[in-house]
Amino acid sequence: MMKKILLALTIACSLGPGLAWAQTPAPAAGSSIADDVKNAPTPKAEDRAAGDPAGTLTGTAADIPMADSKAGLTIQDVVTLVGQHQIAINFVWTLVTGFLVMFMQAGFAIVETGLARAKNANHTMMMNFMVYGVGMLGYWLIGFAIQEGGVGAIANLGGTAPLATGSEYAIHLMGKDWGLFGTKGIMLSGATYDVGVMVLFLFQMVFMDTALTIVTGTAAERWKYSAFLVSSFIMGAFTYPLFGNWAWGGGWLATLGSNYGLGHGYSDFAGSGVVHSIGGVTALAMAMIIGPRIGKFRRDGTPNAIPGHDIVLVLLGCFILAFGWFGFNPGSTLGAAANGNLRISSVAVNTMLAGMTGSFGAMFYMWIRYGKPDASMTGNGFLAGLVAITAPSGFVDPMASVIIGLIAGVLCCLSCEFVERVLKLDDVVGAISVHGTNGLFGVIAVGLFADGRSNYGGSWNGVPGSVTGLFYGDAGQLVAQLIGVATLLGFVFSLSFVINMILEAVMGHRVSAKVELEGLDMPEMGALGYPEFALKPETVLSE
Amino acid sequence: MALVGLAVTFVGFLLAVGSVGISASNTVRLVIVLVGIAVSLGGILGLINPAYQKNAVWKR
Repeated sequence: MMKKILLALTIACSLGPGLAWAQTPAPAAGSSIADDVKNAPTPKAEDRAAGDPAGTLTGTAADIPMADSKAGLTIQDVVTLVGQHQIAINFVWTLVTGFLVMFMQAGFAIVETGLARAKNANHTMMMNFMVYGVGMLGYWLIGFAIQEGGVGAIANLGGTAPLATGSEYAIHLMGKDWGLFGTKGIMLSGATYDVGVMVLFLFQMVFMDTALTIVTGTAAERWKYSAFLVSSFIMGAFTYPLFGNWAWGGGWLATLGSNYGLGHGYSDFAGSGVVHSIGGVTALAMAMIIGPRIGKFRRDGTPNAIPGHDIVLVLLGCFILAFGWFGFNPGSTLGAAANGNLRISSVAVNTMLAGMTGSFGAMFYMWIRYGKPDASMTGNGFLAGLVAITAPSGFVDPMASVIIGLIAGVLCCLSCEFVERVLKLDDVVGAISVHGTNGLFGVIAVGLFADGRSNYGGSWNGVPGSVTGLFYGDAGQLVAQLIGVATLLGFVFSLSFVINMILEAVMGHRVSAKVELEGLDMPEMGALGYPEFALKPETVLSE
Repeated sequence: MALVGLAVTFVGFLLAVGSVGISASNTVRLVIVLVGIAVSLGGILGLINPAYQKNAVWKR
């Protein structure tokens, strides 16, 4: 009897307002739950016809689909609907947050275009526009299969059964299986034509595209458009998905915890490493191969500032990116219902706090060091805070988020100075520092600040309990995170470098000096970004 | 020199990954991984980048 009462209460809670409106009492001893469900009150047709301004007559037992209308409403109908509701909530949540992440492309586009000179506006904008399509093509053809083709069951999305049948290719090494890449989902064909897999594809695809668009910012104003297309395609089809599999697709980094006792394995909640560091280290490789813009450095090696043409675009783009980040981080739960997913509120607050302190860190650094609160660097500090909190956002408390963001803002400025003055690399938008340096910092921050109080269904990466960093007692987690950092620097950088070095030999990355001085818009794209503007031939300022 | 740097960078990665098979102690693993990261950074910043800087456009 107690079981019956509990079942009835569970169903009542799941139906929420519908039954609350009816104020149905708990079943009395001896009554049939099936009868109670069948006799659940529904509003009269004439009441519904009169309208429902208070919303108390809409969404009742009358709205529950029945498998057999002759049999009336059954418990099976109600239980089926409860399951549908949970998965529907998770689908809608993940899709809508994915749409927000897609909109980040617009933010990146105007940040990068604003930081470029007006003579390259069309070219920079076109790279940001087409990176969406070319990345998606590569990811649809093969990338998704490599990354998620062996991910296993994702309960939040209804089990994703087509990807849960041992389709991860692994090698046996040091006594354990090391997952290397997935094999199912090429062109979303066969059994992967599945509603849950489609949600996963959309969400992962927009993440991948975010990584690709980071590189265009570094190599802007001198990157041959054809070389950009080929390089971005390969990155979206192979480079990104490979590391994505190791971290998020059930690969060897994710299983460092279950295989070797290193905390919960490499844990990257929303992609400081997977998305931003991959973009950042690839941008680093590109900056070395393609070289600095003409006029960026004097003959003695000291840098010149080459200001962008529209700081208004830059800061507006930062706001759009911050808006999209509310999809990026909270959406990475892949659901809002059950399995500890109510933590989306905490993830969202952590995200906004770190962005805030990141902007403060950079603004005050620049103000103290150079006498003015530099706008573009304040924007970069804002983004750096968001990048750094991306991996830890699901595992840390608000105070840690504030600290992580503040460190990221200052680190961004220091890194930009190091890249420009010591390495003598030309990074037009500061992407190496914002996404590379702070992406790696975010990965490490998980190993330090994770407080062990998150609970996503009771385990993470197959290890029971919550992700816990060094400051809360688990040194193994920090080791797992650092192995992730070593992989990004030692493997992903090397792979990106080799790919782009081959492209340099085959087709060349850089436009001619004549084209670069003229501006890439007309020679590369056939049209100026601002045809009615009189452009100055060179905009180079001495520091 | 860039290719040597590339090899050194990759060796740093192998060292870090190999740490899980070399020792069961997290402290030892931590030290090995940090050495691996330092080796990779040495390869990138100390070998590959200087190789490209030799022919930088601003030196011509």
